[in-house]
Formats: sequence, C-alpha cells, structure tokens
Amino acid sequence: MSHLHIPDGVLPVWLWASGLVASLLLLVRASVMARGGSPQRIAYQGALGGLMLAAMAVPLGPMEYHLTLAGPVGVLLGGAGAFQVTFIVSAILALMGHGGLTVVGLNALVLGSGAAVANRAYGILAIRLRPAPALAIGTAAGQMVAGALWLVVVLIAMRLEPGAVFHGRLDGRLGVFVAVVAPLWLLGVVVESLVAFGLGRFLARVGPGLLPRAPAAAASGEAT
Amino acid sequence: MIGTLAQIDYLASAGRTPWHRASALGKLILALATLMVAVLAPSLRLLIALHALVWALVLTSRLPARLVAAAAGYPLLFSALFVASQWDGTWQTPLRLGLRPLTASLVAVWLVGTTPYPDLFAPLARALPRSAGDGLFLTYRALFALLARSERLWRALRLRGGMSGSARRRLALAGEGLGTLVVHGFERSQRLYATMLLRGHSGRICGCRHYAEWSRADLWVLLAGATLAGLGLTFWRTP
Repeated sequence: MSHLHIPDGVLPVWLWASGLVASLLLLVRASVMARGGSPQRIAYQGALGGLMLAAMAVPLGPMEYHLTLAGPVGVLLGGAGAFQVTFIVSAILALMGHGGLTVVGLNALVLGSGAAVANRAYGILAIRLRPAPALAIGTAAGQMVAGALWLVVVLIAMRLEPGAVFHGRLDGRLGVFVAVVAPLWLLGVVVESLVAFGLGRFLARVGPGLLPRAPAAAASGEAT
Repeated sequence: MIGTLAQIDYLASAGRTPWHRASALGKLILALATLMVAVLAPSLRLLIALHALVWALVLTSRLPARLVAAAAGYPLLFSALFVASQWDGTWQTPLRLGLRPLTASLVAVWLVGTTPYPDLFAPLARALPRSAGDGLFLTYRALFALLARSERLWRALRLRGGMSGSARRRLALAGEGLGTLVVHGFERSQRLYATMLLRGHSGRICGCRHYAEWSRADLWVLLAGATLAGLGLTFWRTP
C-alpha cells in the first residue's frame, strides 16, 4: 500500500507533472549530496535496488500486493541514497508496465518519503532499542507515512476528497473505498515491520557495520 | 513479473524486426511522444486512431501474444477502479479512461521489447544526474544477479521448515533471508567496484554508444512519427 499501481492517463496532469518535477529536483539534490561518494557506494545502492525489485516481484496476496522494503533500504542507505534507489526502481518498474511512466515521480516521492521517515525514526530509536525492534518500528513509521501519501494520491485520482478521510467524513463511495483499503494498509505496515525485524536481527548478528547505528552490538563489542 | 522481465530482456536482444534494428534514441522519442499524446489528447477519435497505430507497432515487432496480453491486461485491471469512480453514465468516459493507459502500456512494451537495456538506459542515464544514471545500469544488473540466489534462498527456507509456523515467525525468517541478500549485495558491490577499477573505470558508466547510431530501419520510426504527427493535426480538435 505504499507503491502506486496507477496506470498512465488516469491522474490529472498537474498532479503527475508536479510529482515528476519535484522528484527530479530531489534527485538532483540527492546526487549533489552523494557527490564525492565512491562508485562502491553506487554499486551497493544498485544491489539494494535490485533487492527491492526482487521483493516487489513476489506477490503476497490480492491486488498485486507485495513487499517494498522501502523502510529497511531507507535505514541502510540514508534518505538521499534511498531516494535515488526508489526513483530508479520506480522507473524500471514503469518500463516493464508495472505502473505508469508518468507516475514514476509520484511513486518515487511516496516510496522515498517512507524510506526517509524510516531512516529518521531508526536514528532516534536505535539509541534506546536494539537494531531489530528499532528497524521494525522505523519501518512501520515510514510505511504509515507512505501509505497516507498513497491514499491521498489515489483519492485525488478517483476524484474524491482526501480531506474528508482525515476529518472522518466517510460516506458513499469514499466509505467503501476506505473500508477496503484501510485493512490492507494496516496489513502492509505489519508485514513490512515483521520482515524488517528479521532483517535487523540478522544484520545485527552478521553484519552490524551495515547498520547506521548498532548500539547494542557496539556495547557488547566493548564488553568483550 | 521477473519472468516477464527476463523474457522482454531476451526478446529485445534476439528480435530480428526492423524495430529491433532501429536506433534506441529514435524509438525513445517516438514512445515518449505517443505517451504524451495518449495522456493529453482531448479527442476520443484521436485516442482511437493512436491506439490503432500502437497496435500496428506491437504486432509488427513480433512480440509474443502472451506478453502483449499481459501488458494490456495489467493497466486495464487498475483502470477499472478509476472508471468505476468517474463513470458519468456515458460510454465515452470508460472508453477514454481505458484507451489512455492501454495505449501507454502497449507503447512501453513495444519500446522495451525491441530495445536492449544498455541502449535504452544510455540516453536516459545521460539525462539523469550521474549517480542516478549509473544506478540505473547497476540496479538492473543486480536484479538478475540476485534472482538465482533469491530463488535458492526461498527453496532452502521451505525445505528447512522456514515456511511453517505462525505468520509472525515466517515473516521474521523471510526478513533474515533478505538479510543474507543484503550482506551478499554489499560484498558483491565491493567485488564490482574492484572490477570497475581494474577495467579503467573513468567515474561514469556510459553504456554503449549504439543508441544513437542511425540506420535504414530508422525510416520506419520516422514514418511512425510522421503518422503520429498527422493523426494529432487531423484529430486533435475533433470530439
């Protein structure tokens, strides 16, 4: 529920065009921030992008539901690196007919925002928690933000009023839509968080250096 | 999706039609122009004519029917949701909302099904910031490198009982499995970097330069472009 499967020609032009411009500006900004980084870093980003694509290829339920791994990728690469990865992944998916080409910018913004929020949340949580729960909660936070953005875009595409959802005015078509989407959204948050928990637990044991902060591992290392 | 991706990748390199021989840049420009007309065209007649043109492109590129049906079916499935929400009782609205995504997805499958990925990504990479352009190539390559590994991983998980027990346990184990792929991806990126240095990496992955090599086959692209322009001029203001 944090990746738009909207085909071309459905969204209003102002929406997808502004999304594309905003994402290109952010992409330039992210590239400026990454300037001076080694090609090894870009190769690592490519590897995690490939992992995102592979995860998205495995359907987990109805309506092409699948993992996105936006949260873990955001934590592992940082907001700027993760945004580059989400833009590239969205572009490759669109070329394969998985979502519209005009929706690439919006998809990158939705997924990238989830990654950025997960990164920030993990940075705060990792001070007090072990990596696995910190990654899981960070991913849940990112997934909720990305899901909310997804909902706003889809409601605009359906010519419904997004503001009504957040004010609790759920009647008619809007009520039916929210009744279908809300459980899937929550399911997505739970599934992504549990997978992130396992991922964090494994990395804390096997490759703690890959995590931006691993206080528990560092503390145990000092103790020994 | 991955099976489709692998099939498209093979067809793009192995095809023998004039579209496969035409330059990637010309096809990319034609596909983007077609996409823009499909998305912005106010006229239903123009959309129908454009749709016919795109079918001509797809059928003459000899792409497998199953692949084309998949490309056509996917956007229709999701368009149905929006058609239902915006239907005003006329037949024109659903037709318009169906034709736009269908035309766009068919032209996308024509483009990727007739253009090998280094040729397709090379002009795109030049238009994007350097790290994003390089990332395009590296992500696509990493996907195929990860596929066999991830298939072995899921098989091993199933055989060792990783797919039994509660959903919570299964998902956490799947996350641990993905962790092995992250570590593998990191190690692979170190090897790749060393290989790039050995091969004289100049700081940018340029892709091949074939994407702008014009040939006689490009006359077909030019003809399709002229037809597109003619359709636009003729039908743009019609209902």
